Amino acid sequence: MSANERGGECAKPPMKGSWSMASPLIEVSGLTKSFGSNRVIEDLEFEVGAGEIVGLLGPNGSGKTTCIRLLNGVLRADQGSMRVGGRDPERDGSAIRRMCGVLTESADFYRHMSGLENLRFFAQLYGVEERSRPEEVLRRFGMEEYQHRKVGTYSTGMRRRLGLARAVLHSPQILFLDEPTNGLDPEGARMVLADIATLNRREGTTIILCSHLLQQLETVCHRYLFINRGRLIEQGSLTELRDKYRATLSLRVETDLRLQSDTYRGVEAKSMGDGVVQFRIPERERVPDLLRRLTQEARVYSAELEEPDLESLYFRIRGVNHA
Amino acid sequence: MNQRIVWAIARKDVRAIGANLQVWLPMLILPVFIGILLPGGLLFALRTVGVEGDLREITRILDALPESQLRRALDLLPSVEQQVAYFAMNYLIAPIFLLIPIMASSVVSADSFAGEKERGTLESLLLTPTELSDLFAGKVVGAMLPAALLSTLTFGLAVVVANLVGWPMFGRLFFPNANWWPLILLVMPMLSLTAILVNVFISARVATFQAAYQLGGLIVLPILALLFGQVSGVLLLDTLLVSLIGVILAVVNALLMAIIGRRLRRSQLFESQVQ
Repeated sequence: MSANERGGECAKPPMKGSWSMASPLIEVSGLTKSFGSNRVIEDLEFEVGAGEIVGLLGPNGSGKTTCIRLLNGVLRADQGSMRVGGRDPERDGSAIRRMCGVLTESADFYRHMSGLENLRFFAQLYGVEERSRPEEVLRRFGMEEYQHRKVGTYSTGMRRRLGLARAVLHSPQILFLDEPTNGLDPEGARMVLADIATLNRREGTTIILCSHLLQQLETVCHRYLFINRGRLIEQGSLTELRDKYRATLSLRVETDLRLQSDTYRGVEAKSMGDGVVQFRIPERERVPDLLRRLTQEARVYSAELEEPDLESLYFRIRGVNHA
Repeated sequence: MNQRIVWAIARKDVRAIGANLQVWLPMLILPVFIGILLPGGLLFALRTVGVEGDLREITRILDALPESQLRRALDLLPSVEQQVAYFAMNYLIAPIFLLIPIMASSVVSADSFAGEKERGTLESLLLTPTELSDLFAGKVVGAMLPAALLSTLTFGLAVVVANLVGWPMFGRLFFPNANWWPLILLVMPMLSLTAILVNVFISARVATFQAAYQLGGLIVLPILALLFGQVSGVLLLDTLLVSLIGVILAVVNALLMAIIGRRLRRSQLFESQVQ
């Protein structure tokens, strides 16, 4: 199954350049932050355009969550500059927090209060005027049934969904979601990802996603930022990253072609049995020509270009940067 | 100041006390002890046993009193028992009474930020657009309300019990005297506020409720000094002195608020939970 098939019902990433990077919504440059002697963010630099869904990728402790906290003005940077919607998180934090919704692992709820009571309380803090809004977002994340139960009795997945409901409570322009699908069952995770994509498409919400489940991100994000030890080590869309990091492409063709040697028209080829031939192609641009020749000389039933998925790119990028 | 947010936080904190039996049960012991058992027992003993044993020490202090508000009041009372009862209820008990708002507000306010940190909800609060001043005000109001309620309740109980049990001795209402009005209306709220400000500030800077509560307990010390002053007869409360204490506390509170306003930072509050 190719990446595109998997992403069938989720967001189709817009064409490259369809969002305006002329005035990015989030700008970070030279950002540095230490806790004691432990440097968590180092000279971090990136931009996020309005309406983008950006995946923030990196191992545990690479500074993803700290970055979210810095951008929301709850932590002070040691150095560097940040702009969220043209504002400085340290001086104008409340205005930024009003336009941002955040889900982090550590921001908890009041356990002696029900899910609905919690959301009603936070609705007041976010200045949400609409009285029915807490019920509305609870329904949206499938929490209607549990809304009167005390949060202390919730499962991890239920708390996660409540967290998502709180993050979108005030219809924020920007959503920061740190591991939004952690603790969710496959159906729950699918639903949340579909919801994220819908939110982006319908309301143009800019979304920053951190997740370890790279396969899930692959179907939603327009662009990826790879962070390691608090530094940006790579960024780009899936296509851009594939172009940059693959050594060779693999083309699987269902054909009656009988191979005479281990090359075909100068391309490395190998019979896989069952009428399948695998070609190793150095660059994408050679594919149309190869297929044209092939269809002239043999019968071709199907052809599939096997692209590296996000996970293998992730390890390749980390590998390159470790070396 | 956003009143809606201040109230939302205060209401949430007050409700949290209600939900926590371990917090409000010990607080109810205070009105029972100071409002009922202490005045009831003391006056009953004076009526039945009279001034005997250790109580004779008090009469020595009373005899040696210089010209004062209390001296004049005592001179109007014919019996030693009445004098001791009047002195004990109107003077000796006053500092003990001050412990109520302090203790009630300390439990709640020590928990304010430290409790949020321990439960992981402080991050949730700090990520909202709530201004720190509103958050702080909400925490203060949330601690003030139970303290005010408890003080009023205890005072009301003490007035009823003391006059009821003391009626056969006095045949009139003898408690409270004029000192109590500035004490109840000015000193108590001001002292609650001082205790709360100190506690909330400490609570904001340490990581756990335990630590906050231990440190906050130090505020009881000046009250003990006041109690000692009463018992020894060195520093006797009168209307002027009580009012003066109230005004001094108000100034202290204003200073505390200025310091807190300058020292409290979102990032500092956030990072204090990790330590």
